[in-house]
Amino acid sequence: MELLTVKDLSFQYPDAIAPAVSDVSFSVARGEFVALCGATGSGKSTLLRLLKRELSPRGERQGEIAFDGVPIDALDDRTAASGIGFVMQHPEQQIVTDKVWHELAFGLENLGVERGIIHRRVAEMASYFGIESWFDRSVSELSGGQKQLLNLASVMVMQPRLLLLDEPTAQLDPIAASNFINTLKKLNRELSLTIVIIEHRLEEIIPRCDRLLVLDGGRLIDADAPRAIAARLPADARLMRAMPTAVRLFRALHPHPDTAACCPLDEREGREFIESTYDNAIRSLPEVSAAASERAPVALEIDQAFFRYERTAPDVLRGLSLTVYQGESVCILGGNGSGKTTTLGLLCGLRHPYSGRVSVLGKPIKQYRGQSLYRGCVALLPQDVQTVFLCNTVREELKGTEQAQASLPYSLEHLYDRHPYDLSGGEQQLVALAKVLATEPEILLLDEPTKGLDAYAKLRMIDVIRALQSKGMTVVTVTHDVEFAAACADRCAMFFRGEITSIAPPRAFFSENSFYTTAASRITRGHFDGAVTVEDAVALCLQNKLREGAL
Amino acid sequence: MMVIKSARLRTVLRWLIPFVLIPTAVIVGLLVLEQRQHLLVTLAVVLLSLLLFLCSFEKRAVGVRRQVIIAVMVALSVAGRFIPFFKPVTALTVITGAYLGGESGFLVGALAAVISNFYFGQGPWTPFQMLAWGLIGLFAGLLSQPLRRSRAAIIVYGVISGIVYSAVMDVWTVLSYDSGFTWSLYGAALLTALPHTALYAVSNFIFLWLCARPFGEKLERVKKKYGV
Amino acid sequence: MRPFEDYNPFVHLVYFVSCSAIVMFFLQPVTVVLSLLGALSLFFVRRRLAEGRSHLYSLALFLVMALLNPLFNHNGATVLLLINHNPITLEAVVYGIFAAAMLLAVLYWFRTFSQIMSSDKLLYLFGGVSPKLALILSMALRYVPLFAKQAKRVNDTQRAMGLYREENLIDNTRAGARVFSVMVTWGLENGIVTADSMSARGYGIGKRTQYTLYRFYRTDVLLLCTTLLLLSIVVVGGALGALDMQWYPTLRLPRTDALALVTYVAYALLSFLPTILEIGERARWNCLQSRI
Repeated sequence: MELLTVKDLSFQYPDAIAPAVSDVSFSVARGEFVALCGATGSGKSTLLRLLKRELSPRGERQGEIAFDGVPIDALDDRTAASGIGFVMQHPEQQIVTDKVWHELAFGLENLGVERGIIHRRVAEMASYFGIESWFDRSVSELSGGQKQLLNLASVMVMQPRLLLLDEPTAQLDPIAASNFINTLKKLNRELSLTIVIIEHRLEEIIPRCDRLLVLDGGRLIDADAPRAIAARLPADARLMRAMPTAVRLFRALHPHPDTAACCPLDEREGREFIESTYDNAIRSLPEVSAAASERAPVALEIDQAFFRYERTAPDVLRGLSLTVYQGESVCILGGNGSGKTTTLGLLCGLRHPYSGRVSVLGKPIKQYRGQSLYRGCVALLPQDVQTVFLCNTVREELKGTEQAQASLPYSLEHLYDRHPYDLSGGEQQLVALAKVLATEPEILLLDEPTKGLDAYAKLRMIDVIRALQSKGMTVVTVTHDVEFAAACADRCAMFFRGEITSIAPPRAFFSENSFYTTAASRITRGHFDGAVTVEDAVALCLQNKLREGAL
Repeated sequence: MMVIKSARLRTVLRWLIPFVLIPTAVIVGLLVLEQRQHLLVTLAVVLLSLLLFLCSFEKRAVGVRRQVIIAVMVALSVAGRFIPFFKPVTALTVITGAYLGGESGFLVGALAAVISNFYFGQGPWTPFQMLAWGLIGLFAGLLSQPLRRSRAAIIVYGVISGIVYSAVMDVWTVLSYDSGFTWSLYGAALLTALPHTALYAVSNFIFLWLCARPFGEKLERVKKKYGV
Repeated sequence: MRPFEDYNPFVHLVYFVSCSAIVMFFLQPVTVVLSLLGALSLFFVRRRLAEGRSHLYSLALFLVMALLNPLFNHNGATVLLLINHNPITLEAVVYGIFAAAMLLAVLYWFRTFSQIMSSDKLLYLFGGVSPKLALILSMALRYVPLFAKQAKRVNDTQRAMGLYREENLIDNTRAGARVFSVMVTWGLENGIVTADSMSARGYGIGKRTQYTLYRFYRTDVLLLCTTLLLLSIVVVGGALGALDMQWYPTLRLPRTDALALVTYVAYALLSFLPTILEIGERARWNCLQSRI
């Protein structure tokens, strides 16, 4: 039974030259879990918004969209509002009211549902989602993951039959993201809820969804089960970079699209594939000498720093010591609240430890007078890059930075006339970085530079950081993204409760960690040693012999 | 109402009667009559005027986006109070009134009073503040043409309304202290509040000087972009 | 018996308005003293000696207010002394003290009121008048901490980019204005997404209902009726002249006949009602605990 049918749908924004969506036809059956993917600008967000009448963008639309056999324009207001639920990317911005309980009731209040029934449904929903313990709280006290769960719950309370989600986990940390996706899967399995989701991070979604719709340039270029698409996607396609590690590993070894092949989707299948296909006579790659940077002069030093936000609050940093050498790239990893961002604040003089010392380029940070710390010395790219922008166009934003821009490994001129807020996440990141680099710092501090970025923008970010580093810049990055850290760090540091529990070059670091490590390391663990990236694993596979009887 | 042809004049009167004529009449009457319990009578009138306005707002169809923008402006004016030197309530109320109309201006002023009192303490003075700030926004809406045209006008209006606001709140101080109203006491109240009033006027001046134009442009942009 | 704070907000509103309105309307020594004692006892029973310094401010305010009246008001027959040829009279001094005490009482009633009346409760009351406005208020209340947090973030980022210069007030004010200005943009953009999220959940398609967490329990009705009963006794007594008081030109003491006494007792009960509830509730807990 088809719940949603889209036929020959085309859409063009006013003032646009080309249509954002053209000739898209597909249908979604009841109880299906569908992922919509494609690069930034492929029209997937527009397509998703067209499916929800209230959020339908203004412009020229052709074709048909039917919900449960009825064209969506002909639906009555109540069915349109409650039958199709929509969850957006930013957890903060969708919340309407100040209290959790009120937010849950909001949708039902709008439908004019009687108080007693609201009470029952809200109670039921809070219990199902485990919200009971924070039911009375203000939304401002919740974490990002809790907020997004609240958004989901306050849509679900209206009992929708179709749920649309636009990158719901992009702003969450990996643990919260994984929780969120698991909740979606639970809803899908237990309540036969039909789900259409846009995701950048396919790692979590691909093993769980029934069907993958691939959009490119506004057209639907493929639609099939994820395993089939993973097997037949061209190995150099842009989408390939967003695929789970197991898929990328498999396809790097089988570059030719082959529909018949049984492509592994998650880590367990990936491990089975590697172990059953390849020998492990050669277990590890030759050591690269990474000790050179140790001899370079010290760029940053934190010596037994203690920090708390208020006198009565608990310590955020407990005797933290960290030394970063010039020209080095250090990634700081760790859970929420382990003091990662606070450490960056310490390094750029925004926060001061109540005990302990911080020095920059061999000079105690307190001796930097006035603005001298921020002139050619230290620069910070914050987690929320929107906080960098103060002007109405990119041109004004970057005024006076022409010289610094010339030395950047990328160009921004095509964005000059846009409003900074109207750019995509990846573009905002690059503009903000250009502005931050205008002071020509020797040390660059990055806070979660890959948050909310798609796979392509993330790779570009890695290239940019590598390029800056090759010019002698010292880079300290705080991140949740282990794949990113494995690709661009010289050393990785694990934070826990305000101190460093381990610090080592990525290969040693990730192969010694058992849980907090890259997918490639988890796949090859026990079979190979020290393979932490897909490239490492592929290289090792190619050096070893195929097992007998393997393909 | 049918006799008055100009729709504009009608709106002006509709606002003027409940908000200005009634309170003025009552206050003047009370002063002349030298009766007791002026405070409670004034409070009742203030509450009634507010109620009248709120009820009429409730009945009107107001777009979702406009409602959200009002909430945003209210929150900004309250959140701005935590920035040192900045007391942006009056200025933001004036800007909202001038660019989004008197009704929105009134609401921003009145609601900002309620919300900032969550941080500074509610009391019988809350309705007074609501009405005083609300009226500043309302008149800004009525004077929107000249205020939008020149920066000087909006600054002058903002500074004057800040002073008038203090003066009105001093009436409350005197009324609450003494059941009667004595000019000498009122004078003393004005005098003690002078440094505060002056600081407030200066802050309004600086704020409007720096922000009136850019904020107005932002509101215009949102109005155009999202069809508010 | 429940703690006073947990009663229905409507009961709180009626209670605090009655208490403070009576003392403002019938300004006379007995009501002022009763009201002040009631307000103070409620405050201290609930908060103990918290916020110690704020009480000193209240005391200072009381002293200033008490002094102001004799300095500006020269009515009264009993002249105590002359300052600049202006008579300071006993009547004005006494009136000043009681008027200031009345203000203090109102101040403390509303301090407790502010502590009890959380935003949820105010919205519940507001929602009765105008649901639309209650929602706008609720949104604004949600935005305030959000904006404050974002403003702090922008401030930090800009500081790390060298926007502020030390020892330059003009530049720093200008920088502050720029940060605030970008907050306006951010807030408005943010608001548009919120508006979308509201429409997506059917806001504005028809008549809304109001969901609240507050109910009227038997005890709420009981407390409300008690409050209204005591209020009407005091008002009737006052209307019959039981609370009449003459301050000028010469002081006349408050009445002490039967009607006046009944009125005083009613107002005393009213003033101490929440304190009695609080103490009773605590005693009951102690009793329950000792039985376990």
